Amino acid sequence: MLLTPNAMGPRLRIGLYLTTALIALFLLLPIVFIVLLSFGSSQWLVFPPPGWTLKWYEQFFANPAWMAAVLVSFKVALLTTVCAVTLGLPTAFALVRGRFPGRELLYALFTMPMIVPLVIIAVAVYALFLKLGYTGTLFSFVVSHVIVALPFTIISIINSLKLFDQSIEDAAVICGASRLQAVFRVTFPAIRPGMVAGALFAFLVSWDEVVLSVMMASPTLQTLPVKMWTTLRQDLTPVIAVASTLLIGLSVLIMVIAAALRRRNETSA
Amino acid sequence: MTSAQTSQSTLSAGTTGMAISARTQRWRGFPKLLPALMFLSLFFLAPLIALLLRGVLEPSPGFDNYALLFANSAYSRVLLNTFSVAGLVTLISVLLGFPLAWAITLVPRGWGRWLLSIVLLSMWTSLLARTYSWLVLLQASGVINKTLMALGIIDQPLEMVHNLTGVVIGMSYIMIPFIVLPLQATMQAIDPMVLQAGAICGASPWRNFFRVFLPLCRPGLFSGGLMVFVMSLGYYVTPALLGGAQNMMLPEFIIQQVQSFLNWGIASAAAALLIGITLVLFYFYLKLQPESPVGASNAR
Repeated sequence: MLLTPNAMGPRLRIGLYLTTALIALFLLLPIVFIVLLSFGSSQWLVFPPPGWTLKWYEQFFANPAWMAAVLVSFKVALLTTVCAVTLGLPTAFALVRGRFPGRELLYALFTMPMIVPLVIIAVAVYALFLKLGYTGTLFSFVVSHVIVALPFTIISIINSLKLFDQSIEDAAVICGASRLQAVFRVTFPAIRPGMVAGALFAFLVSWDEVVLSVMMASPTLQTLPVKMWTTLRQDLTPVIAVASTLLIGLSVLIMVIAAALRRRNETSA
Repeated sequence: MTSAQTSQSTLSAGTTGMAISARTQRWRGFPKLLPALMFLSLFFLAPLIALLLRGVLEPSPGFDNYALLFANSAYSRVLLNTFSVAGLVTLISVLLGFPLAWAITLVPRGWGRWLLSIVLLSMWTSLLARTYSWLVLLQASGVINKTLMALGIIDQPLEMVHNLTGVVIGMSYIMIPFIVLPLQATMQAIDPMVLQAGAICGASPWRNFFRVFLPLCRPGLFSGGLMVFVMSLGYYVTPALLGGAQNMMLPEFIIQQVQSFLNWGIASAAAALLIGITLVLFYFYLKLQPESPVGASNAR
């Protein structure tokens, strides 16, 4: 009843399914629309497009400014991922296995960048880098992105570390491995799903970050979202639809990878 | 298990040498989080505190900035607008998210997975891409206006961007996944037998829905709704692109004061207000959660 479709009566059931279909379409609409638009031939984004073309893709890939932005985005996202995992991994170990006082408070501190509005982090970090003269550098991008990526990495690793039974690591030590060996050869492989998920999250957070990047950017150093943002404020050229489609493609790719990892985990577990 | 026991026994032994080892035992593992702690203190906490201090120090020490924030009618309209948009967005995303979460729970597993994938796809698609898409969809010569005009429902294009309508549509769209995911988890955990019991005891479907099902959904509904409200208060990108100058929200106001007017004092006061509200609401959100991830339950 109410949780089994057969028992809830035909009118309610059909009503619910119809509503659901409409909401699902609503969720898909802007994503499908933008992908179609990137292949449309109309400069003015007329829909349905009068014809289909790849010329916006050609324009995108031939434009050094867009290509430079893609490259910067990749660099920043990769560096952010590496830093977030390097900082997050020992932190997760300390928070899960440590018995020191104030762990709850420290956990709250580490997840705080997820809660404090991005705009405020952006303005605060911007003020600091303005004083130090670091705005518009790769360093300022990576540092600001690591701040917001770190909570995602720490939480993913904590979640898988809590599922791992430490006695297995202890067993390895008893069998003659050093503690470091045991961690690297036994624990890390076991918590790899959490580490990979944390890394993917960090990459995606950095790759998609707009507010922090807009504050850190200079005319010569921009990430892809910053380039989109500044272009968007001038006109709605279909080239932005191309950039959006590529971003959507990457999100889908990462989701598929994550789902595949989860499935492999389920079968091996 | 072992560390707790040894530190207990060394403490009771009480000799100086053993007290030191007890202290190192007590702080075991702490050094591992020092790098991240230093990083966050240096680049997150310190700048944040410095920013908040500017609100009471610039241009002159005192609470003038805060007074101005509430006294100036243009500024207080920003505050009012922020809250009404966040409230409206929460309401709409709950209304749309509820049936979707319910359907995911109801339909056969395969279909449920597809629906969930759609929700996740929309959540993980670039924010900027989705907002750009809405900008094109909603504009005066956009598809939605054209379709409505072709159907004869309207004869003038509706103004749906650079105003409140645009912001609410765009933000509700973005927030739906954040309602669906917690709510669906709550619904999944409800035992269907409870509802069956309600029906057997003579409750009509409506009564069963409002008196049994809805109260059981409440934890997911509250935590999802609160999360969405908090997130909506702090969103910048979507309101900046889809909204107009008439209905500015706090985050946009803060950036404008910093970038265009270099008025750090008032920006900082607004930031303090936004953080304060966010943290208070988040405290209530945590109260609704069953347990903290590093809480006592994982004691070995």
